[in-house]
Amino acid sequence: MRLLLIEDELDIQRFLRHSLEEAGYQVEVAGSVKRAEQLAVEGVYDVLIVDLGLPDGDGISAILRLRQLGVKAPVLILSARRSVDDRVRGLEQGGDDYLTKPFALAELLARLRNLIRRNNPSANEATRLRVLDLELDLLRREATRAGETLQLTRQEFVLLEYLCRNAGRVVTRSMILDQVWGMRIQPDTNVVDVHIYRLRGKVDGKSQQPLIRTLRGVGYVLKDR
Amino acid sequence: MSSKTDKPVMRSAAWRISLWATLAFACGTLLVFVFLHQFVADDIGRRSDAWLSGEVEVLGDVAEHTPKDSVYDRVVGEVAELAGKEVPNRLQSDDVVNDSVFFLQEGTDGTLKLWVGAGNGEPNLKAIQAKNLPSDRPVDLHVSGFSTPFRVASVRIGDGSRIYLGLSERDEIRVLRNLRFRFFLVWLALVLFGFGIVFFTTRRMLSHVRGITEAASRIGRTDLSTRVPMTSHNDEVTQLALTLNHMLDRIESSMHQLHTITDSLAHDLRSPLTAIRGKLESSLSTTRDGEHAEPIASAIEELDRLTDFLNKSLDVAEAKADALRLDRSEIDMDELLRIMIDLYEPSMSERGLKVQLMSSGPMKIVGDAALIHRMIANLFDNELKHLPDGCSVTMKLDSQDDATTLLVEDNGPGFPLEIRPHLFERRVKGRESNGHGLGLAFVEAVVRAHGGTISASNRETGGAVIIISIPLSAVEHPVAASPEVARSN
Repeated sequence: MRLLLIEDELDIQRFLRHSLEEAGYQVEVAGSVKRAEQLAVEGVYDVLIVDLGLPDGDGISAILRLRQLGVKAPVLILSARRSVDDRVRGLEQGGDDYLTKPFALAELLARLRNLIRRNNPSANEATRLRVLDLELDLLRREATRAGETLQLTRQEFVLLEYLCRNAGRVVTRSMILDQVWGMRIQPDTNVVDVHIYRLRGKVDGKSQQPLIRTLRGVGYVLKDR
Repeated sequence: MSSKTDKPVMRSAAWRISLWATLAFACGTLLVFVFLHQFVADDIGRRSDAWLSGEVEVLGDVAEHTPKDSVYDRVVGEVAELAGKEVPNRLQSDDVVNDSVFFLQEGTDGTLKLWVGAGNGEPNLKAIQAKNLPSDRPVDLHVSGFSTPFRVASVRIGDGSRIYLGLSERDEIRVLRNLRFRFFLVWLALVLFGFGIVFFTTRRMLSHVRGITEAASRIGRTDLSTRVPMTSHNDEVTQLALTLNHMLDRIESSMHQLHTITDSLAHDLRSPLTAIRGKLESSLSTTRDGEHAEPIASAIEELDRLTDFLNKSLDVAEAKADALRLDRSEIDMDELLRIMIDLYEPSMSERGLKVQLMSSGPMKIVGDAALIHRMIANLFDNELKHLPDGCSVTMKLDSQDDATTLLVEDNGPGFPLEIRPHLFERRVKGRESNGHGLGLAFVEAVVRAHGGTISASNRETGGAVIIISIPLSAVEHPVAASPEVARSN
């Protein structure tokens, strides 16, 4: 996967390049709109990360210019602004996504995966998910662990489905709130933890091998091996 | 000219102004007419009197110098009759008998000596004798049998008898009545016409003012980009619009400055925060052993709290200045509360807290979804943090008139006395609280930004109650259905 990172802050450039390369992306970095245009013309990218505050222009006009140059890859917008600009919203409706700074790396990776998947729609969505001995029937909304049916509420099923879809990858609390409950909030209480705790009680309760792991300071991961 | 006002015309300022203006106009013209009428009446009276005095002199002269023989009556009578035909102000009448003038000679013994006029003259003589007329000037005389009085002049002649010449005031009265009637018609037409003109001009003028008012009220607390409409005339109303627009320019510019400051503050803090968080995460992922991972993880958590605090502080600061920017969409409060309860219920039941929602079904408001979500989450966090185990929370969602009311009450200890007057201020928190003291300030900020009201108090029976009211201002802002909000689970 080729990724173009357009970001001028050196610190952020450095750790993003490092983390993205670790996650398996081939990263090219541009520190200005001019350089980004150059790179975009020279190479083909699967996804772009664009910071809104660039030294020689506004990130959104940069995106629009790149689109004019024929760049079709989806864009993940990084914004240090608090309120989300209407134009960002417009781009979001056009298939791109945004993330406000500071962000968790896991969320950045998840959003990138989402963008790439949306851009290259694969064959029919699976109706069954399987992670080790955990199996989810998405049509019948049923989950089984080692052949035994789990008594899940509707909400717990949605949460487990989200974890399964991201099996082996870290999901943060705010990603769970966004994807499962549909809101971008930062509760200063442990609401998500309690849901995970309950779900873990049902999924890992009787099993020798716990599937749902907590990574402190980061989030949760559903083990897939 | 469109008048969208729903209040009756009678209560508009244009109506009042035209009413008063018309009243003043009507009184003024009436006064002018009264003077005019008086003048005309006086003039007619003076002319009649001059004629009477002159004629009675002539008649007296004729009577005196005509020999008192058998033709005396005929001579004087004819002269009197001729005089009667030259009556001033006389209206043409078809009557053969001239009843507007009489000539009467009273003998020294008080008997009727000569009579020219309608009737036999007896009532006239009786009236004259009853009144004892002065001889120097004409006076009014009421005669029985006649509806209008006579103006009578008299003269004493040489043989001691008196000659009276009477002129009916009927024609004079008729002339004046005619004048009054015509004046009244013209006056009525003028007054109605004047009222119409004043009413329509003021209404037109005031419709511009109403246009300004409507536009100004559309310019919301946070939308400052629109301006009030201007008319092409350079009158007071345009001046008003101009002044308002200048004022809006200034407000918008200071608002813009505030935004620039908060934005650059946010930006300048966020970039290093992002870098720090990134570095911490990288080192966390490379650190496998738990002993070192723990402080890094806790640093990341602290950093996230700091970010949240930064966001809320800036939101509260902007909201206090009425400058919070809203990204409006339609939100179903009922659905939102159900999702929130779903989210918070496990945490609450862990603590033995019960939560209950009383709602009469879907209740749409137009607002900033992200802010409203965070506001409701704050209310739940607040209850979760401050309620002792085993308490219960009741939420009532209700719509009154054009506002949605959310009432949150619990049966806990209520707000501590010492902070009750300052509940919505920043950094205010109870002694026991471990939050950053922004919770309720943030809630209030969001409510304010949506043009709503909030009150918090302690119930008589114990426990806290927070009442939030947000207007259903769906009309002025286009509703964009947001996919995040329209989720169903």
